[in-house]
Amino acid sequence: MINRKTLKVAVGVALTLAAFGCNNDKLTAINQNPNNPEAVPPGPLFTDAARVGVARWFGNAYDLRTTEWISQQLSEIQYMDEDRYVRVHASDTEGTFNGAYNSELKDLTQIINSEEANNDPGAYGPALALRTWGFSYLTNSWGDIPYFNALKGDSVGSTLAPAYDKQDAIYADFFAVLDKAAKDLGGASNTLGTADPIYGGSPAKWQKFANSLRARLALQLINVNPTLAATQLTAAINGPGGLILTNADNAQITYPGDGVYNNPWADALGARDDWRVSNRLTDLMNANSDPRLAIYAQPTTAGTYQGSPNGVSVTKAATLFGVTSRPGTIFYKGKTSYGPTFGGAGARLPTFILSAAEMNFILAEAAQRGIAGLNAGQAAGYYNAGITASLQQWSAVAPTAAQQISAAQIAAYLAQPGVAYKGGTAGLVQIAEQKWIALFTDGGQAWADWRRTCRPATVVAGADATLNEVPRRLEYSTTETTVNAESVAAAVANQGTDVLTTRVYWDKSPTAAPTYVTGCGVKNGT
Amino acid sequence: MNTDSRLMRLAAAAMLLSVVPAVAAAQVTMSGRVTAESGAPLSNASVSIPELRLGAQTNAEGRYNFTVPASSATGQNVTVTVRRLGYLVTSVQARLTGNQVITDFKLTPVAAELAGVVITGLGVEREKSTLGTAQQELSSRQLNQTKTQNIINSIQGKVSGVTITGSGTQGGSNRILLRGANSISGNNSPLFIVDGVPASNDSRGTTQGGGWDYGSAISDINPEDIASMTVLKGPNAAALYGSRAANGVILLTTKKGSASGGRMRTEISSTYTWDHPSILSTYQNLYGQGSGGQFQYIDGSGGGNQDNNDQSFGPRLDGRDHGCTFIPKTQTYDMSVPCTQFTSPTVGAPWIAHPDNVESFFNTGHTVSNTIAMSGGTDRVNARISFGSDQVAGYIPNNTFHKTNGALNATVRVTNKLSADASLQYARNTGQNRPGVGYTQSITESFIWFGRQVDLAALKAGYFNGLTAAANNGPGGREYNWNYSFHNNPYWIQYSNPFFDARDRFIGSVSANYNIMQGLVATLHTGSDIYRFNIDQRYAPGDVRQGTIVDAKYYGGFRFINDYNNESGTDGSLKLNRDLGSHLKLNALMGAATRRPNFNTTTTQTGGLTVPDIYNVSNAAIPPTLSQQIQRRRTDSFYGSAAVTINNWWTVEGTARNDWSSTLPSQNNSYFYPSVNTSIVLTDAVPSLRGSILTFAKVRGSVAQVGSDADPYLLRTTYTGLSTKFNGLPQFTLGDILANGDLKPEITHSTEFGLELGMLDSRLTFDGSYYDKYTRNQIFNAPVSSTTGFSTKSINAGKITNKGIDFLLGVTPVQREDFTWNASFNYGHNKSNLAELAPGVSTLLLGSLFSARVEARLDRPYGALMGNNWARDSVTGKLMTSGGLPYAATTAKNHYFGTVQPDWTGGLSNTLTYKGLRLYGLLDFHRGGKIASITNMWGTFTGVLASTITGRDQDWDKPGIVVDGIDKNTGKPNTINVDAETYYQCRAYNCGQVIEDWIYDASYTKLREMTLSFDVPRSFASRLNLSAITIGLTGRNLKTWTKVPNIDPEFSYQTGNVQGIESMVLPNAKGWGLNVRITQ
Repeated sequence: MINRKTLKVAVGVALTLAAFGCNNDKLTAINQNPNNPEAVPPGPLFTDAARVGVARWFGNAYDLRTTEWISQQLSEIQYMDEDRYVRVHASDTEGTFNGAYNSELKDLTQIINSEEANNDPGAYGPALALRTWGFSYLTNSWGDIPYFNALKGDSVGSTLAPAYDKQDAIYADFFAVLDKAAKDLGGASNTLGTADPIYGGSPAKWQKFANSLRARLALQLINVNPTLAATQLTAAINGPGGLILTNADNAQITYPGDGVYNNPWADALGARDDWRVSNRLTDLMNANSDPRLAIYAQPTTAGTYQGSPNGVSVTKAATLFGVTSRPGTIFYKGKTSYGPTFGGAGARLPTFILSAAEMNFILAEAAQRGIAGLNAGQAAGYYNAGITASLQQWSAVAPTAAQQISAAQIAAYLAQPGVAYKGGTAGLVQIAEQKWIALFTDGGQAWADWRRTCRPATVVAGADATLNEVPRRLEYSTTETTVNAESVAAAVANQGTDVLTTRVYWDKSPTAAPTYVTGCGVKNGT
Repeated sequence: MNTDSRLMRLAAAAMLLSVVPAVAAAQVTMSGRVTAESGAPLSNASVSIPELRLGAQTNAEGRYNFTVPASSATGQNVTVTVRRLGYLVTSVQARLTGNQVITDFKLTPVAAELAGVVITGLGVEREKSTLGTAQQELSSRQLNQTKTQNIINSIQGKVSGVTITGSGTQGGSNRILLRGANSISGNNSPLFIVDGVPASNDSRGTTQGGGWDYGSAISDINPEDIASMTVLKGPNAAALYGSRAANGVILLTTKKGSASGGRMRTEISSTYTWDHPSILSTYQNLYGQGSGGQFQYIDGSGGGNQDNNDQSFGPRLDGRDHGCTFIPKTQTYDMSVPCTQFTSPTVGAPWIAHPDNVESFFNTGHTVSNTIAMSGGTDRVNARISFGSDQVAGYIPNNTFHKTNGALNATVRVTNKLSADASLQYARNTGQNRPGVGYTQSITESFIWFGRQVDLAALKAGYFNGLTAAANNGPGGREYNWNYSFHNNPYWIQYSNPFFDARDRFIGSVSANYNIMQGLVATLHTGSDIYRFNIDQRYAPGDVRQGTIVDAKYYGGFRFINDYNNESGTDGSLKLNRDLGSHLKLNALMGAATRRPNFNTTTTQTGGLTVPDIYNVSNAAIPPTLSQQIQRRRTDSFYGSAAVTINNWWTVEGTARNDWSSTLPSQNNSYFYPSVNTSIVLTDAVPSLRGSILTFAKVRGSVAQVGSDADPYLLRTTYTGLSTKFNGLPQFTLGDILANGDLKPEITHSTEFGLELGMLDSRLTFDGSYYDKYTRNQIFNAPVSSTTGFSTKSINAGKITNKGIDFLLGVTPVQREDFTWNASFNYGHNKSNLAELAPGVSTLLLGSLFSARVEARLDRPYGALMGNNWARDSVTGKLMTSGGLPYAATTAKNHYFGTVQPDWTGGLSNTLTYKGLRLYGLLDFHRGGKIASITNMWGTFTGVLASTITGRDQDWDKPGIVVDGIDKNTGKPNTINVDAETYYQCRAYNCGQVIEDWIYDASYTKLREMTLSFDVPRSFASRLNLSAITIGLTGRNLKTWTKVPNIDPEFSYQTGNVQGIESMVLPNAKGWGLNVRITQ
């Protein structure tokens, strides 16, 4: 019969294996992720969130595939799909919408949650301000969006299908958050330091950022709720720390230009020869011999600055390919994959997030409107300061000495009849157009201001555009319409059909704005 | 080639050594062992010397023994013949000298056998008649009818219920599905087992849109080393292998040595094949590069009129050398403008077609394959050693593959009770300059976005003569080319961007068997599959392919990928196989196992070098991006099975397994799964059923459940770090997937019934199954609103059902002494349905390319092909038009066009044997299912396909096309004439991205294999001291019948779960070969 000893050995082997099998703790420990941690300090989160968030609104799909063509600062020259509004629909823009939430806004929320608990305003203050800045692009582009219940994952009491909040409620909270951020940053210690690529962690500068963003957002409501706009502008101007009024305080990210982290425009423009500056931009700037033209655009072979019209047919665009101005060499990092070599410093070009120029134009407009404690007499001063700040801002990054703008040039520019401040409604038009020029590269904000002011009036749907007018918002993400359908339906019920021409809460027309023109943005057949 | 000549010398030496001197003697004992090709012993085989009327039957161990009296043994040559039910009759020559002649036999099963010993789960050898589950065996001969680099290709058309698709490139990967896909987003590949060791079949295939296909890991196995393949089709047959067997199991048993009385047996197989691309698109040769009838080359990057356009709606290719610019106003060509071209940038050159400009890019491929194997042994020790070598020169220029295989199999009977087996497979598998596949990197893509007048010979000469872009006014730093905006010279791609990949692999195992007592064996088995896989991609400066990593500002870049895979496993088991009385047989097994996969991968990449040509991390001008992933997991298991056979005709078997997995939370990480099956041999149970017509009938049934664990690290949400520092600063971001600490195992249920019939003395056999299976609690990442901060959540949900039938029908219409005709037909039909998805989720995107989407959609078969369709008039069904052009019904891309899965697949093989001549052919059928062809879509858009001539038969814009439709505004038939360019670009993409026109019925029939072989007469062979010489002429993929234009519908752009979208696939190889097989 069976050799007992052998049987013992066999059973022993089986039991030993079994013993391994039942050691549950050891098994579970194997599943401890060796690649990624479960907790990290706020610094590296902030660096990533700031970089990703800025790139999202300046240079990625939102800017160079959508709003640069809607704001019409650039035009397409080979594939006209975005410019003709063919590829600015839900499936084209959903990456921006989804990505903003599941990348930088989520990471900033992690910082806010942990550092509020740690009572460290030096970390959560900048995170609150930057998160609000990101949310403002979202709501300005889509209107009602998930806000109060967003970014909570599947934590207890939250839902995986957050509700959409009304834009006016979101704006109200923006003001409250920015108020808190500016106040809490007062006396805060610099805990982020170099981990903050925008201000090096400076609480004082983040205060200015919070107030300036508050001013920008306040003015956005001027048509729909002038009272609130005035109140919030007043609060922003008087906020602790003040506003960004000199270029030294500009919020900007400087890229290392190391090939991995380049200015996003430099990466995009060097890869494909698909873009030109718009003739809306060159026409406006040529009219006043704007010295920034040499920086914004490259001359054509004829030696002139000639933009290309927006939204024309592919056949028409092909005829313009060789005779229109590319964006300035400043936006190129050197050799391009399609041939020419341009400039070389574009990889390190800073992205301007919030500038002194814009703030001065905001104050000029407030003054002209006589709100926030300012009067019309002050408008010219702020207007000139805004233009000066913009010229100096771009001059500082001009690739060649010849393109730099001297004080004399600035004075000459300001003295031109088309530039010299006219006051009244004409002044508001001048402010709006100068701000639009100054906001070059910030397609999202240029679009937001254009919807509010309808200036420049030359911004109209292109001849071959698939819409009759310039889009007023973007369509909700297709992921949202499938996995968060009920919330989207409620938002649509509040806001209007989910199409490009529906207007968001603050975009009402006709408006109280004296700059408003009838038929704003509508195709005029040219 | 050096390796080959060395191998040949070795073979010659081996042959000389093994010549055994003849010794005169008297009485001779004949003995030996009869086994199946798998090495499983065959009992009840009759071994005889017909001319002497002597012989014996083999015992349970397959051994036979009989004596030739001295009077008959005169040192003469005799024929020893073995006959056994279910196997081909086999004979060998033996010389009756000495005291003892040992002759072993390995028998080849007949095409569709119903009886005989087969290897089943965990290597258990069972009589097939006692199995209650479906399985199909393929012999070495069936697998090696024609030469393939990948053993999966050797199964095509031969196993019922199997669907195989590939990416089409030589050396590329393929996807194999047994009875449909079980998992929504997980791995649906069956488990491969080589001599008891789970062997990786991971593929680094292509990603969405394009990339490089680095093949399937199972292609490391030398098909010549495989003795038999057993396909266990359902989870029923595979419950003993645990989780990964839910998709079925493919058991590979390698060839082993056998007792030969110390004599060495040598086998040599050499094959030479010539490969050609099989299906190329049909191109038009009437119109050249350009748009709107215009073209003028100035600098290839937009300087001239339509200069950088990469479409073929240019002027007519009528030999003109001036007048390539059309003036719309006068409707004439401007004859003052020369037709400049990339070959002649300043002076007009004849504007003519180059009809062979795609075909001439491809070479004739050559493959040299050699395997030499030596085996032998005594009663106590036997071994088989083999060396294999494949040298492949692909039909794409500068693309080669090399594979070196070594295998050693040894068995030692240490004592009468203890024996040990060792099996070792070594492979080095390398590829050089694999062509890109799919849309973005494929060579084919640059022939679709193409100017039909482009002279490929000029591009080739330009490249090899060292011409640069300076020769034709192109931009600095670029190679000589026809277009500088979007394309590289295809020769430059293949020769100036060296890519290299190599996998070094060992699959080895050692087992010890201890015979505790008669019928009770204890086994300890341990083994590993270990490989290191390096991919080395070097990009020269000037690479402009879409998705290139190269930054134009620097001097090229590189991407190095290193994978290390080690899956080790150990199991101990007790096997009991004994008769309990005269009516009862027990075949039982119990054991414990542990499996420890470990995978580690690193990627180092930069898009910029400081100095050209030095592809080293130290030369990176752009800080290299480094990434690293480590994956470790472990599963521990207990398993057991018991099969009781009553009266040799009724078998009942139960199996059970419990797994503990590291990847599930501790409260859910233990899961149990049982199965039960039974088989009844009706013809034995009721002997009266058996007659001259019905000789064998068996029914079987089984119910099984298999549990599956999760991927590692899904239980807790973690932060992802970036290796690249922003201004020196580290960066982290919280992961995008919400982890789930409560995951449960996935469960697959399967019910199966089978019928096996043998009729007319087994000249007609049938083996069929019906199955019904489903997988629930699927672990996948369900999309959630990104506004939560996360895009997906890992959940247990969803249910896929698969129902189907498959069968194998074998017929021997003619069986004469000299002439046999065997035919075999297999068929598999599977119907899947996605019965449940996550709560609130009705569809899950599996993948999309341009306007085509493949989804897992609720209440549809798995793999639903979706997209936009045309708006149609509800009365007439005609297209609705607007401005003369059709338009999309909606832009939601949610019209269902059908499933990408075939209705049925099958194979028909015929073998005609006349004496030593054998003619074999295999037709492979794929019926039904849909495919979206991106090649046809863009080929129409760009006007390169012959089908785009209509509408410009007279001139580029004449006569134009009037769409047969109903005008949206008038409600009357459309009368607006549009030019061909506008029309085709509308249909392809421009009018609402409608995919409808590019969806085809993917049916095809292929003449997959054809062989004519000849056995050299034994008398001649024995004069060379050889026992057999077979010479064969083989053909593979010789002919395809399909209604899909321009492409081969067998191929998809990737080999994962996204099937049914074709995109710029390379034509697959059609090959002829010569094969010589020598046995000594």
